[in-house]
Amino acid sequence: MSEVVKKEERKELTRFRPATDILEREDGFHIFMDMPGVSKEDMSIDLEEDELTVTGRSTQCPVPGEKFVEMQFGECEYIRSVSISDIVDRERIKASVENGVLELFLPKLEKVQPKRISIEAQ
Amino acid sequence: MVIDFNTLYNFPSRLDRVFEEFLRSPMGDDRRLAYPPLNLSNDEENIYVRAEVPGVTIDDVELTLTDKTLVIKGERTAPEGKFYRQERPSGVFHRVINIGVPVDREKVTAAMKDGVLTVILPKSEEVKPRTISIDVA
Repeated sequence: MSEVVKKEERKELTRFRPATDILEREDGFHIFMDMPGVSKEDMSIDLEEDELTVTGRSTQCPVPGEKFVEMQFGECEYIRSVSISDIVDRERIKASVENGVLELFLPKLEKVQPKRISIEAQ
Repeated sequence: MVIDFNTLYNFPSRLDRVFEEFLRSPMGDDRRLAYPPLNLSNDEENIYVRAEVPGVTIDDVELTLTDKTLVIKGERTAPEGKFYRQERPSGVFHRVINIGVPVDREKVTAAMKDGVLTVILPKSEEVKPRTISIDVA
């Protein structure tokens, strides 16, 4: 019975936090995440309140009959959460993937122009 | 006279092991000593070398095949800007892989997908496993 349980557990992949660079430029914040082996379809980005969570599953394409001599990376699940500050414009957040690197662009909110409020006569 | 060393050495107790597990870095950064991580494998026909180099296009990687080795060399550049956090490696990387069997140099191929570089080296004909038929005289 314990052997059956062991087989189910093996499907869970190891979770890693991807190496992340967070930098600020004039136009906004940029976040680069290293997720090699993850294609665009296997990645998902969720924004919840003030937290941005990125998850991805890497795939290996093993050839049948292949025997490994040395394995230094394997299939894993990448997951990382980043908190977003209030000056980020949530509507204009952009994401792009190139060569296994996810780039998130978080623009800053444009300063709201001072408004004159008109007074209605009663 | 027999001395029982069991009581003299302080083996990590079960409580210590629980804390060690808890404090282990979730990034698994002890899993490799050299960058980029490689997976080496083979089957009857080919040798496969895979390297994890995200953020690098195939033109930026130099692959050199000598008689007995494959050299992977390239550079990762860090983006410009004011950094709040920098975890991605940057700089020149260089790895040498010894190839124990002769390979067919004309037919070596390399491809890059999602930041994983795969080099396929076909083994040369003399080395492929072959069955020998036995004639009964």
